[in-house]
Amino acid sequence: VSVRPEQESGVLRYSLLERVVHWLVAIAFIYLMLSGFALGYPRATWLYDVLGGGQTVRFVHPIVGVAFTLGVVLMLVVWLRDMAFDGSDRAWARDLPSYVREGHSRVDVGRFNAGQKGYFWFSVATGVLLLVSGLPLWFPGLMTGGWNQLARLVHHALFLLTVGGFIIHVYMSTVMLPGTMPGMTGGRVTRAWAAWHHPGWFRKQEAGRN
Amino acid sequence: MSTELGLAVKRRSATPSSGTNIRRDHSIKQVEVSKLVDIDLCIGCKACEVACKEWNDLEVEETHNFGSYQSHEDLTASTWDLMRFNEVELEGNDIAWLIRKDSCLHCEEPGCLLACPAPGAVVQYENGIVDFDQDNCIGCQYCVSGCPFDIPRFDSRTKKVYKCTMCVDRVTNGLEPACVKACPTGSIRFGTKEDMTIYGEEKVSKLKARGFDDAVLYDPEGVKGLHMMYVVPRGEMLEEYGLPNEPTVRGASFFPVMSGLRKLGSLATWAGLFGAGLFFLRTGRRFPPPEDEALASAREKGRETDMRSPGETDGKGGERS
Repeated sequence: VSVRPEQESGVLRYSLLERVVHWLVAIAFIYLMLSGFALGYPRATWLYDVLGGGQTVRFVHPIVGVAFTLGVVLMLVVWLRDMAFDGSDRAWARDLPSYVREGHSRVDVGRFNAGQKGYFWFSVATGVLLLVSGLPLWFPGLMTGGWNQLARLVHHALFLLTVGGFIIHVYMSTVMLPGTMPGMTGGRVTRAWAAWHHPGWFRKQEAGRN
Repeated sequence: MSTELGLAVKRRSATPSSGTNIRRDHSIKQVEVSKLVDIDLCIGCKACEVACKEWNDLEVEETHNFGSYQSHEDLTASTWDLMRFNEVELEGNDIAWLIRKDSCLHCEEPGCLLACPAPGAVVQYENGIVDFDQDNCIGCQYCVSGCPFDIPRFDSRTKKVYKCTMCVDRVTNGLEPACVKACPTGSIRFGTKEDMTIYGEEKVSKLKARGFDDAVLYDPEGVKGLHMMYVVPRGEMLEEYGLPNEPTVRGASFFPVMSGLRKLGSLATWAGLFGAGLFFLRTGRRFPPPEDEALASAREKGRETDMRSPGETDGKGGERS
């Protein structure tokens, strides 16, 4: 059965461009995280074999890193306006405990809630800092001796922060809040999902349609 | 000079618990070997350089005159041994001509090994030799940053790092390293670390008797000692010889932080995964309510938002106007 546009149900959550940018960043991040574990943890060096050998990992990791940061910059361009903090975010942050308990905020949330905005800006910041701290590791001649070790330390610390964010992000979008993932794959979410999690944004969508 | 044959591995880079000593009595160790360069006896003939090239079958690199007796300006991926010449003006119109054989010093605490993230790319044997296994090298050059003596050299063709092996292939077969064999004055010696230390200390006291008051045996504690020591007649001029006064693994102060961060990182990652699992078991999945309920809730919130900020139109709630 072919699905024509008028038969599509639900609300368009993410445009094609937004989804392309998200998955570019996501796939790059997953590769960087796995190869990063191999490079940073002796007990994870078996990942070298999975990813094509240590020399390949050393060669590819920085290149994917540049792609990742470029993706993050694109993400910034695409979502800059929607991710700006506003008055409702303070209320959402105050309501965080009940959000964690219920999986639902009592605040009238717009397109993105304060948690999503926070994760976005966290990703932008770490995306840029990871590239900056990675440069001396990519080109060891840039700095000497102890500076390289310091860069390694900073790169590693930032990496761990992003892994933490990644675990929370994936858990929430796949396991915790059903109906979220279709927004990032097919682009559409159910009306119930939209009205429940992003009521302000949903009303605007509905108003626009009518 | 007696060395036990065979190679027991003491440490491998990026390998947890890499000790392999299964002997019942751990005090029975493989004999530690060492080279000793008696700078007093060195005439700067560069026979060691040639022997190194020859034994290791290393490409010959063209030299050029840059105003020094030195054959090449620096070590390279295929020049593992280099006689460094340095002229230093002293007080009273005197001059010191400092000549030093520069090659890997085979630290007991090797900065290259500690910095290396590739399993087995740097290996330290029980006899003290620190060797690179290029098959395992990933070409990251962290060893270059970690070395306090600026020894390892990256080759841009093979994308691997190279340095002196202390002729590990000769040593395991009961021979001295090639540079030792070629040295015509006995300036480069080879034996057990113990014998070489005794020789070095005796030589230092002889030098002192001859008026070299600052003569030292260069075997610095910062890297837990060397397996290529120097007898330096002018111990006050270590830096001029190109020997750091107090060498330590480069960035050594970051290593404990790094290892703490690694432990914290793996703990936090596992805790995060288990935490997510536990959180799931406790709270499960949060489905939205049926559509009519969700819609009613959204409309209700819209009314509340409008009441709070009357000028705003419906649907702007939570968004920047």
